[in-house]
Amino acid sequence: MPKTKGRFSFFVFTTTMVFFYAPLIVLIAYSFNNSKTMHWEGFSLRWYYELFLHSRDLWKAFGNSVIIALTSSILSTILGTLGAIGIYWYNFRFKKYVQITSFLPLILPEIIIGVSLLIFFAAIGLQLGLLTIFIAHVTFNVPYVLLIVSARLDEFDHSIIEAAYDLGAREIDALLRVIVPVSMPGIIAGFLVSVTLSLEDFVITFFVAGPGSSTLPLHIYSMIRFGVSPVINALSVILIAGSIILAFSTKGIYKYIFQK
Amino acid sequence: MKGSQVSIDGVSKSFGDFQVLKNVNIEIKKGEFFSLLGPSGCGKTTLLRIIAGFEDPSDGDILLDDASILSLPSNKRHVNTVFQSYALFPHLSVFENVAFPLRLKKLDRRAINARVEDYLQLVKLDDQKTKLPAQLSGGQKQRVAIARALINEPSVLLLDEPLSALDAKLRQHMLLELDAIHDKIGITFLYVTHDQEEAISVSDRLAVMNDGEVLQVGSPSEIYETPADIFVATFIGENNFFSGTIVSVDQSSAVIETKECGRIHAFMDKHVTTGDRVTLAVRPEKLRITKDRPEKCDSGLNCVGGVVDEIIYTGFLSKYFVSVRSGVVLRVFKQHVNYFTEESSIAFGDKIHVWWDVGDGFIVEANAS
Amino acid sequence: MRKNYGPAYAMPVALWISVFFVVPISIIFLYSFLEKGLYGGVVWNFSLDAYRALSNSTFLKVALITIVLSIAATIITLLLALPTAYFIARSAYKNFLLFLVIIPFWTNFLIRIYAWIAILGNNGFLNNFLISTGITHTYTQFLYNPFAVVIVLVYTYLPFALLPLYSTIEKFDFSLIEAARDLGATKSQSIFRVLLPNIKTGITTAILFTFIPAFGQYAVPQLVGGRNSFMLGNIIARELTITRNWPLSSSISMVLTLITTIGVLLFLRLNRSAGMNIKNEKKK
Repeated sequence: MPKTKGRFSFFVFTTTMVFFYAPLIVLIAYSFNNSKTMHWEGFSLRWYYELFLHSRDLWKAFGNSVIIALTSSILSTILGTLGAIGIYWYNFRFKKYVQITSFLPLILPEIIIGVSLLIFFAAIGLQLGLLTIFIAHVTFNVPYVLLIVSARLDEFDHSIIEAAYDLGAREIDALLRVIVPVSMPGIIAGFLVSVTLSLEDFVITFFVAGPGSSTLPLHIYSMIRFGVSPVINALSVILIAGSIILAFSTKGIYKYIFQK
Repeated sequence: MKGSQVSIDGVSKSFGDFQVLKNVNIEIKKGEFFSLLGPSGCGKTTLLRIIAGFEDPSDGDILLDDASILSLPSNKRHVNTVFQSYALFPHLSVFENVAFPLRLKKLDRRAINARVEDYLQLVKLDDQKTKLPAQLSGGQKQRVAIARALINEPSVLLLDEPLSALDAKLRQHMLLELDAIHDKIGITFLYVTHDQEEAISVSDRLAVMNDGEVLQVGSPSEIYETPADIFVATFIGENNFFSGTIVSVDQSSAVIETKECGRIHAFMDKHVTTGDRVTLAVRPEKLRITKDRPEKCDSGLNCVGGVVDEIIYTGFLSKYFVSVRSGVVLRVFKQHVNYFTEESSIAFGDKIHVWWDVGDGFIVEANAS
Repeated sequence: MRKNYGPAYAMPVALWISVFFVVPISIIFLYSFLEKGLYGGVVWNFSLDAYRALSNSTFLKVALITIVLSIAATIITLLLALPTAYFIARSAYKNFLLFLVIIPFWTNFLIRIYAWIAILGNNGFLNNFLISTGITHTYTQFLYNPFAVVIVLVYTYLPFALLPLYSTIEKFDFSLIEAARDLGATKSQSIFRVLLPNIKTGITTAILFTFIPAFGQYAVPQLVGGRNSFMLGNIIARELTITRNWPLSSSISMVLTLITTIGVLLFLRLNRSAGMNIKNEKKK
């Protein structure tokens, strides 16, 4: 390995790592700051108290996020899985249409999807609220589920489907007893990706949310707009810690998803 | 439940421009062990899939006991398949794989347990019930596939090159087991393979296919001893070929002027007349090799003299490569009966006589001039 | 042969996507050719005003800024990501280092932007540090300008560039570099003539995953950009909710859609010739 590339790449690597972590470290550190400003005035847990005890709206928004994430992911997983199965094994007239239109949301900017849904809901007279958020989330999650489940369908020996028919299975038997169980790792992966994207989403949700319905990212946005507050810092620390704990405790699921 | 008669009636199949099956007609008897033999791409697997219901023929019909099954989807036909890749359900145990067809029918638990046990015992896998397919060897997977296909008690079992993924010794063993299972259960077996040894060792009858057509149907010995054409003769066993022109014919035999060894006599198992160009085949094991010229050379035997070019010793027989004319080499197989007194006396370079009974040659190709 | 259940399986998802994606996008397409309504909404008269407005200098300025900022972010991201990916791929601890890179991205996207606001703000960490150490005497405006936008864009998209680069570099056969050195190549020659050409798919993927999303950004410029660093996404939103010029918002949306789609198709064609498939195209 060329020596200068070695030293140069190490330098860039370290710079990048510092670049990644510095903002977060500052964030975490100042969550314990006994002052509303970025002036260090001593260690304090007051922002955590405020986060847990005086932020009813925040937790309501969090609750909404979870409910929408779970419900929209269930529906998008069902739609996406059935769609992936249909596209993978059959040919039919509108197949190309489905493939193209389910691929587009993956590449279009979120602003376009958000704005188009807002105009659509206005045109059909549907009031913005949790329902519109739910609809939007299903819409942008379905393509991911389709992609992930299709990848899983690609991996197993397809003659087992013929074997199922041969042994007397009707289509519904083949689906529930063979296709779904064998693709389950992909279905679960699709579901988890759906939940993650839904919890994270800001731009699309911003445009289709109504005045009384907020999700956690929307609430965070309004807090940021309002001004710097260390409650956000405290929330960030909780979220970071939460995701790390979640990631480690679900290592078993990853193994299951990536099995052959 | 015994087997069904299967009639393949004028079946043709094309994929786009490419015709895979060309007017195939075969009658398979009740309870037969019938093989479809042919090289890769000859259409045998496609034919099997049409019978199973995974493909529709472009033309023709499939009848089970004189009733057409073409309109039935694969899950309603009394036909089950053992797939080349075994197609075991990876998420189900051995027991559940075999029980699968019964669970579809919603039989009660006790009935399922009893029947699955029976069939697992039939294939000698009752001690592997809880294993998953990934934990099984090729031979074991094979047996699960067989048990699973039989438990529905179909009237025809289709086997698509089931032994091709196994090693040679295991293949022989499994072939005998399949034969035993066939004898025990008694249903019709339709076995697809490209291995001629497999086909002729266990089949009651077989069909040789090439290029989408059936070339010959018959018992193994019929096909071996009297192949219908050059392809069948070459595909099964080994041959020596003599080509020439018919010089004269009488009631039952003909005289052929061959370029390999002059005039020889042959029985007329095909209709030929003077002037026809023919190819005669004689199997190497039918050729005899001796140092002295036999007496009956001109009455009932065909004889030709030659020089031993090469000898290959295989333990139980010797293969002699004999040069009879420049460029023409005959292969003679002689089983060792008394090696040290008889066979070993023929050595490389020896001048010897090769001869055969007139009835042992068969005409495989005849072209009117 | 079994019945064609394809339509049955695909119909639910086809219906959903048609109603909630195809129709909305079609409405926007339609609206871009209509007249602006007095208090918002549209008047059903055909008009090309919305597209004519695109030749307006304000719009062109924003388009230019969008292009410049996206390109700048992409270039910086690439310059950081390539050596980093190289270092990780050559390291003995590559899995651990990869994991280290991924962890910050488990935090919410907005919080990551907020972290930069807390650092770059007038009362933020950086200014406090500079003032308290006497380097400056009053606050420096770090936020609400194009530089802040580029920094945060880079911060957002670095992992999306890193992963494909890492993946391609990891598969690269480094003995090729040794061979080149053996034949007399200098260090920079072996990088530019041997390494880079062979990781082209990784580089193009990294560019795609950075430039296209950056181009369509809304939240970053909205939160850390100023008047003069608004991007196309922001003016689409502004025309929709503030100026209430729906046809104009729609026409800009169509332009953004067009550019994005062209960009992706270009990328797919480029990479297809290099032998890669993004869409799963396995035929039965």
